Amino acid sequence: MDCEKAERLLLGAFDGRLKAGEMIWLQDHIKGCPACQKTEQEYRVILSHLKKVDTPGPLPYFKERLLAKLQEEEKALPVLFWQRWATKALAFSLTAFILIGAGFLVFRTPEPQETSQVEALLLRDENPFTETTNILEAKGPDNGNMMLIFSSMEEKDSARR
Amino acid sequence: MIRLSQEGDGEAFGLLVERYKTKVFNLAYAWTQDRTAADDLAQEVFIKAYFSLPKFKFRSEFGTWLYRVALNHIKDYLRKNKNKMKEISLEVLGEIDLTAENVSSRQEEQAGERRKALVQAALQRLPEKHRTILTLRDMQGLSYEEIAGILGLSHGTVDSRLFRARQKLREKLAPYLGREGGEYGL
Repeated sequence: MDCEKAERLLLGAFDGRLKAGEMIWLQDHIKGCPACQKTEQEYRVILSHLKKVDTPGPLPYFKERLLAKLQEEEKALPVLFWQRWATKALAFSLTAFILIGAGFLVFRTPEPQETSQVEALLLRDENPFTETTNILEAKGPDNGNMMLIFSSMEEKDSARR
Repeated sequence: MIRLSQEGDGEAFGLLVERYKTKVFNLAYAWTQDRTAADDLAQEVFIKAYFSLPKFKFRSEFGTWLYRVALNHIKDYLRKNKNKMKEISLEVLGEIDLTAENVSSRQEEQAGERRKALVQAALQRLPEKHRTILTLRDMQGLSYEEIAGILGLSHGTVDSRLFRARQKLREKLAPYLGREGGEYGL
């Protein structure tokens, strides 16, 4: 457990992040622990090599090349702007068209249905059977029944026959 | 300088480029190990940064923000170009003792190159988050606070992640540390 703690503190020590008390504890531990001395040595070697990894630096005229590229990108911007605008406008128009169409279909008021003769008579507060009774009394019952059947066949809506 | 750049002042932006180009390039090179690719990436980072400047609200340091842009761009590039990445084989590097000392200055120079390559090869084999934090701290020399800002982590997480990353790197380099009779040494 002490060596695990020592390893953690060791790396903090390399970064200069230890408190005084922690540093003293670490130094005392390492003095008496060959394994931790080896660990310290190994970390020193590795970290020194990481710092030494040198890089070749950017290619010449980095800033000049970059500014030239930026000028080209800025020239292309208006075209790109209009392309993006047109695409967005088209998408918006299609969405609006679909929404308005759907709204129209869902919320439209139903067309008024024609009232039947019976309904019209009832609305005028007249007896719908008056005509039927007259037909039945005027002719014989068989003729009356046939006239009733034929008159109902004029009704287009089959539910009303 | 940043406000002038936001207003489209090319000269002001040029000064920002001069200040940060090496850092951005080094970050890209740490990942690609290819000078041309790193140069291209660094240019792309600055172009991205230029057009994103209006979004920079001074909530963090400009350098922190720029590093964030750079890291995200480099990671996107790596994802798209996994197959093209130069991976150095640890086996090809041969027998190396990171701790041994060399006799002549020429041998030392050659050994130095191989040691660097060895450390780079081991670094490449680490998980991305460990490689990132080691690059930022041990190669770029950024502070814990700067790293926390760039990666959006707490100081505690930076501390523990850095510890774990260094441990893993040491595990990878263990076969090459303090080998007896080794020809090359750190």
